[in-house]
Amino acid sequence: MSTDLQDAVAATLPGAKRQSATRTRLWGWLLLPPAAWMIVFFVSSILIVVALSFGTVNANGRPAFGTSLANYQALMNTTYLTVFIRSLVYSVTTVVLCMFIGYPVAYAIALHGGKYKNALIAALVIPFFASYLIRMYAWSTLLSDEGLVNQALHTVGFTDGVQFLNTPGAVVAGLVYGFVVFMILPIYASLERMDTALIEAGKDLYHSPLRTFFAVTVPATRAGVLGGVLLVFLPALGDFVSAQLLGGPSTFMIGNLIQQQFFESQNQPLGSALTVVLMLALLVFMVFYLRATQRQNRET
Amino acid sequence: MAATTIATEAKTTHSTSRRRRSVEGKPFFAVAFTALFFVLLYVPIVVVILFSFNSKKSLSVFGGFSNRWYVQFFNDEGLQSSLRASLMIASIAMVGALLLGTMLALALERVSSRPARAVGTVSLVPLVTPEIVTGVAALLFFTGLGLKLSLVTVIIAEITFSISYVAVIVRGRLSSMSGEVEEAARDLGCTSWQALRFVTLPTIMPALIAAGLLVFALVFDDFVLAFFTTGVDPQPLSVRIYSEIRLTISPAINAVGTCMLAVSVLLVALSLVIPRLFGRKDSSLDLISGG
Repeated sequence: MSTDLQDAVAATLPGAKRQSATRTRLWGWLLLPPAAWMIVFFVSSILIVVALSFGTVNANGRPAFGTSLANYQALMNTTYLTVFIRSLVYSVTTVVLCMFIGYPVAYAIALHGGKYKNALIAALVIPFFASYLIRMYAWSTLLSDEGLVNQALHTVGFTDGVQFLNTPGAVVAGLVYGFVVFMILPIYASLERMDTALIEAGKDLYHSPLRTFFAVTVPATRAGVLGGVLLVFLPALGDFVSAQLLGGPSTFMIGNLIQQQFFESQNQPLGSALTVVLMLALLVFMVFYLRATQRQNRET
Repeated sequence: MAATTIATEAKTTHSTSRRRRSVEGKPFFAVAFTALFFVLLYVPIVVVILFSFNSKKSLSVFGGFSNRWYVQFFNDEGLQSSLRASLMIASIAMVGALLLGTMLALALERVSSRPARAVGTVSLVPLVTPEIVTGVAALLFFTGLGLKLSLVTVIIAEITFSISYVAVIVRGRLSSMSGEVEEAARDLGCTSWQALRFVTLPTIMPALIAAGLLVFALVFDDFVLAFFTTGVDPQPLSVRIYSEIRLTISPAINAVGTCMLAVSVLLVALSLVIPRLFGRKDSSLDLISGG
């Protein structure tokens, strides 16, 4: 807003207009290298994926561009559809679990963290910058048949041992562990921004902390929760490391199929079609998400 | 802020309201749950570190402290060249992403033309694109051009992915900086470049340092993009670890993992602390947490 005012004032001064025009040109030049980089290496490479998804593999096993729908038709069988549905179920479960785990944590830190608030957020953030691969690997050794968790269970009396790895539970747990911070941070931020006097008022009005929580706190932090849902769902749906290290072929997700097409089957056009399906799923989700946030903005 | 103070005052001065609060008490559930959460958050990390010092070749029985896995790691020429490769990728990607990301942030803050806004929107897309999509796209782009996959292709892919992070962090700092400061510098006779060099850059320096450290940590640890864009020899450390843990289980991986953890923890901790050393309250912590 202050820049609008500035521009208005500047426009009335003699010679000012020319100066601001040269300025804009300078900043315009600055835009060129990063814009060119993004267009060459990001936009065009995404377009190549879309183009190759209509391509074929020629006789000597090399991918070729084309206009065939064969790759998409090939995806229309139960094997692939099962994996699509499984990926959706795992990702939605992950989002819901992250919500139930993340909300109390964000709440406790934001409203009862006191002077340790920043230290707690740092303690939360730091592990998530540690290699995702190493963290998944750590869980795979912990949960293995001879791992520490099974040893602990053994000493408590469960002598049969529990098979954790290769189960859907392990894969979803890995996804939750991997991405829960993306749920906590936006909820934390919206709780921080929230006027705590509202909670006080709510307590006077409803006489019950639980009713206050659902009538006041939850609606006030809906934007944060929505942001968290987006930030968890996006990486979860495209993940293949958790299913690779904590699961097996029976728990493979769409990411594992993509990875297989590029590194094992060497069928790049089919892999591209799978990638396009993943992008479309996320696009549909984004549209619903943007609608929801717009409605939220209109209401508040 | 003011509301919080009023609320606390109200709490301490009015005995009735204090009584009501103490009946409710702290939400023990949320606090206990959070404590449990932090324990589970750190258990796998602590286990990796602990077993990296194990004298036995076991991932479940601890036989006493030993540095044998670190010795093995530092004598393994393959792992060492991967480590050097990862450090090189992260350094170059950090410089490249800082340069391009800062240009982008400066331009987007100052130019509000339609193409600039379009670039601004496009530059946010990598942040909401799953890495596997970016990885596949980069792989097809490079192979389509007939480029041989190598560390160079990894660096290009990592820069593309990191520009957005830098731009977001630097824009956060720029938007809180008044444009009038630069205006004043120009009124005092600075050229646009001088104003940028002597006024704007020093102001956004803490954000640049924080962004650089975060990009280094992210790229150094990154697996998915590196996996899709790397050649055969040398491979980045994360890709090499991935192929090792799929083949065998070796406690040496715990030692490598511990070193990687140490690097990222150090970098992230620095990126949290450094902006505060400059007397700024807007460290990357606030940017990350959106505070």
